[in-house]
Amino acid sequence: MSKKSLQRKLVISFLLLSSVSPAASQLHAAAPVAIAKEEASEVNLSTAKALFDGRSACFVDARSEYAFYTSHIKGACSLSDSRFDDQFPDFRQKIAMETLLVVYCVGPDCPKAQHVAKKLKKNGYRNVKVFPGGLVEWSHAGFPMEG
Amino acid sequence: MAEIGFPSALITALRLLLGVLFIISGGEKLLDLKFFGLVIAEYQILPSLLIPAVALLVSFCELLCGAMLLLDLFSRISASMMLCMMVIFIVAMTNNLIRGLEHDCGCFEFFAQWYGLKEEIGIGPIVRDILFFILLLPVALLGSNKIPWKKHKG
Repeated sequence: MSKKSLQRKLVISFLLLSSVSPAASQLHAAAPVAIAKEEASEVNLSTAKALFDGRSACFVDARSEYAFYTSHIKGACSLSDSRFDDQFPDFRQKIAMETLLVVYCVGPDCPKAQHVAKKLKKNGYRNVKVFPGGLVEWSHAGFPMEG
Repeated sequence: MAEIGFPSALITALRLLLGVLFIISGGEKLLDLKFFGLVIAEYQILPSLLIPAVALLVSFCELLCGAMLLLDLFSRISASMMLCMMVIFIVAMTNNLIRGLEHDCGCFEFFAQWYGLKEEIGIGPIVRDILFFILLLPVALLGSNKIPWKKHKG
């Protein structure tokens, strides 16, 4: 086998391998972006209000239960970051897997909404969004609250 | 009492001050037991099944001990009970601080609602409970266990 043909074979085999290898495929390259987009899936105040008005989403309060008890977005469910494991079985019974969930906390500085959203995705809920403005933005806008 | 340098007036003052504080603290908890139960749940120490009973017991004990301190009825026993409760509160808060948990301490919600002093677990409430412990000690050690309206011999 000549040196030239060996080189050609090596190049062809590399190209073939790279086309089937998941590490080099376009699908694989796009996957982390998709995951990142999914993690950063956020809704602003107007979208949150539209979902609330259309009754097309279930609002999930990621704060502690006592904070939820004091005040929350009207009709929201409590699923606190701190007691997620205790509350989740009840939540799962009440809320169908395909429901659009909008998770919120106090405001943009509170990481609990993202934590709960991640835990929900991990537990099979695919349609999860985070409302970073949270209760502060919602209440300042004068939107419906209860508690 | 004079022998160990603790004037009875000071014991009385401590008894009255602590009595009023514990009546406020226990009373407000009894008025909203559900809220207090949810705060206890956040401590993540007790099983969920026990929480309502513990919430009732703690609130009732605070109210009862506060009233007994105020009326000087079994002050030593009441102060000793509150001492035990202070130790439990201090241990529970320290434990949660070490675990990195952040939540309401459930201490004086009355002040939180009226004056906006929302109190989370931290060094402040622990120091305050240590101060209460120190203030309760003289009453527990030197207070009276007499019933005021009962005539005592001698």
